[in-house]
Amino acid sequence: MYGLDDVESSHDVLVVGAGCAGMRAAIEAHDAGADVALVSKLHPTRSHSGAARGGINAALGNASDDSPEQHAADTVKGSDYLGDQDAIELFCNEAPADIYQLERWGALFDRDNAGRLAQRPFGGAGTPRTVHAADVTGHVLLQVLYEQLLKRGIRVYEEYFARRLVIGDRGCQGVLAWDLARGGVKALAAKAVILATGGSGRVYQGSTNAHACTADGMAMALRAGLPLEDLEFVQFHPTTLFPSGLLVTEAVRGEGGYLLNADGARFMRHYAPDAMELASRDVVSRAEQTEIDEGRSVGGSLLLDLRHFGPEKMRERFHSTRDLALTYAGIDPLKTPLPVRPGAHYHMGGVATDKDGCTEIDNVFAAGEVACVSLHGANRLGGNSLMETIVFGRRAGRAAAEQALKRSGSAELGLKALADGEREISKLLERREGERPRAIRSELGSSMYENFGVFREAAKMHRQIELLEDLRERYEQVLVEDKGRVWNSDLTQALELGFQLDLALCMVSAGLERRESRGAHSRPADYPERDDQNFLKHSLVRWSNDWLDLSWKPVTITKWQPQRRTY
Amino acid sequence: MQVRLQIQRSDPATGETRLQLYQLDHVRPAATLLDCLEQIKDEQDGTLAFRRSCREGICGSCAVRVDGRTALACRTPVAELVAGGRVPIVAPIGNLPLIRDLVVEMEPMWQKMRSVEPFLRPSSELPRDGRETVVPPALLEAVHKEALCINCGACISECDALTVSPEFLGPHALVKAWRLVGDPREPLSKSRLKELSREHGIWECTRCYLCNERCPKDVDPRDAIAKLGAEAFAAGLTRDRGARHARWLITSARTTGWLRESELVVKTLGIVVSVTRIPLALRLVRHGKAPLPLPRHKASELGPARELRRIVAEQDRRGARGIVQGERVLARIELTHAPAQPEPETEDF
Repeated sequence: MYGLDDVESSHDVLVVGAGCAGMRAAIEAHDAGADVALVSKLHPTRSHSGAARGGINAALGNASDDSPEQHAADTVKGSDYLGDQDAIELFCNEAPADIYQLERWGALFDRDNAGRLAQRPFGGAGTPRTVHAADVTGHVLLQVLYEQLLKRGIRVYEEYFARRLVIGDRGCQGVLAWDLARGGVKALAAKAVILATGGSGRVYQGSTNAHACTADGMAMALRAGLPLEDLEFVQFHPTTLFPSGLLVTEAVRGEGGYLLNADGARFMRHYAPDAMELASRDVVSRAEQTEIDEGRSVGGSLLLDLRHFGPEKMRERFHSTRDLALTYAGIDPLKTPLPVRPGAHYHMGGVATDKDGCTEIDNVFAAGEVACVSLHGANRLGGNSLMETIVFGRRAGRAAAEQALKRSGSAELGLKALADGEREISKLLERREGERPRAIRSELGSSMYENFGVFREAAKMHRQIELLEDLRERYEQVLVEDKGRVWNSDLTQALELGFQLDLALCMVSAGLERRESRGAHSRPADYPERDDQNFLKHSLVRWSNDWLDLSWKPVTITKWQPQRRTY
Repeated sequence: MQVRLQIQRSDPATGETRLQLYQLDHVRPAATLLDCLEQIKDEQDGTLAFRRSCREGICGSCAVRVDGRTALACRTPVAELVAGGRVPIVAPIGNLPLIRDLVVEMEPMWQKMRSVEPFLRPSSELPRDGRETVVPPALLEAVHKEALCINCGACISECDALTVSPEFLGPHALVKAWRLVGDPREPLSKSRLKELSREHGIWECTRCYLCNERCPKDVDPRDAIAKLGAEAFAAGLTRDRGARHARWLITSARTTGWLRESELVVKTLGIVVSVTRIPLALRLVRHGKAPLPLPRHKASELGPARELRRIVAEQDRRGARGIVQGERVLARIELTHAPAQPEPETEDF
């Protein structure tokens, strides 16, 4: 039978999401003396951080002369000068110590011949800086963070679907969640909440993201009245396998793989003559899209040639990449080049936070892909996001613990919140007629790819907003066919779709207002140039009076004045 | 492509299970089993329950049994399954309690993993320069495969020893154990090995190799268990029944060229316990399942058995490095960067 403990619990700090950022935050909050718990719709090691392949950036200087300053300069340039430079400097300075700590916790990074951590070249970086564990770096980090979680005995509400931040007089009071395995609303009260729910990639059809990446945290923050920053910036990864959208790691280009068009030419020569295939991701994706749009593709794809790697290098370094190609495309990259195209990969934008992950509500924090510090600005460099989860996960964990420990008494959500939560779910479950989520989800995904993809223009964005309004209306009558309570993923998937629709509308609205081309936001038809005069600033979208309110905030510049960005 | 699947459904209230037939008429030729499950849920039956997330074989959510064999749904091309009009049966993984349809309770697996204290315990002394511990890359090769484990539970599902002895730690937890014991940075390997050598530990594995066969990430759990056993031997932990059993196999082969099963019981269980097994032994003899202890079994030629042992010794694969089984692993052994350093020979290995 259900006891009170099953429906309500209270902690100092509650972390929503248990990927790298969430677990790192929880570990730090615990070590800072707080009673901390995580809530996640997946078991922690099933989080999407585990799919990060290529590596994690820190200026250790093991493979070449390097410094945090160079790392920062590369990141600023990569961000197309939209990253906040104070955050970037702090990030680059703190990254090396975090890597050493991960190593000490047991992370199985690859070594050089001297037994030091090996570092590989990555796109947008001037020097080999990316620490890695073969091509399963994220997986290795996820395991080691989970081990540290277990070592500390930190509580995880596993397979609980968080769906609302409860906001009251003293800020956030906690989170309402749905217990997937048993069915039922669970009230998780907390003195501070950290959102670490990851990205929103599933808004697109043609995404590298897992099914679980449905913008939950961003939408929950939006509904709680918090501003979302720079949502128009979505990174399209240049090498996603056609047609599945699965990611082929950038490391294959870092180690000599190259891109060919239908004529067999290395077309990057025309777009980035120096960096070639290792230019920043947005540059490579646009080059590909241009080749596709101008008719030099092979059935809508470009070719990623790895044949010259030879069997030994392929086995040793890219075992899982070859495996991926064989399983999902039936192609052996040793024999045939892989068909690739740009796919939605990473959301630079997210919940607006300061350098400690703190949002406008002083006891709500965010870290990792869900957040926008802003570290990545208009474009993220490969290898910086895993590092972000660690550096800013740690900082958010520390700050949240301090905030929580300042607050007296114990956190409470109260029975009303619980009853409201139950009522909403019951209403959804009791609906007998309506539209199944499938068509709405599929139209959302394909239209976003078409109208808000690598290239954007006003007309298409206007059309997309109309379409989204229509989809949102249809969603009002969404039908959950499964009426049971135990493991009802039909219910949680319908709730996820609601999150995605809210977020998509914010993304396109912000994109329409940014009348320039910068980083991943590219408008060759109407605003082909970067416009520092008018748009060297962050967009902020918030929900107010049932509509979206768009505003701007300045970019922090410390050392690096905007320059023309070429590779 | 047309796909028909029989999927095991269950009623969470009563626990009753039944098979339900689904038919999909338009499936992409390159679709996976997971794609089909998604399609069924989207288009035909929203009540079908299954776990999934990454759809690329890294999150470990979607292990199921297809015609009795455990596999990740997302890594199983469906065309092969339905070739020739076959209608495969899709069921939840085994050896774990059922929650609903294809979803099982994973907690027993996590509980066992927690019991091996699954975290590195580096010594308190930090490297002087405050940087990473310097480790020769060849040493890390020892745990490379185990680090690939995605906790999908396929090995648990396939493990016959677990079915018979639910308290057995099982392949998944033992993989994690080797991941730590074999890590050159772990200072507590011997005490861990001692714990793992107890009842329900490394020696309870029946060496059926199904975990190696079905692991979707080529972790080869049985090899990890064998490495633990070999290292336990090397550390002198040979008193456990399982270890005594293994020891006797070697001694018996060396001295007579045969396995002397009747003596094996005494050597493994000790005289006192063996006496209680006499009735069982007699029944086995009566049914031709065990030889009489006398006359003593001895091979006519001892040479080949001893030669085999000499070859193994010459290859210098004592301890965990000796654990090379199956073609897949042999293929991968070329990858080791440096030849392993020989260790002092122990009594029987």
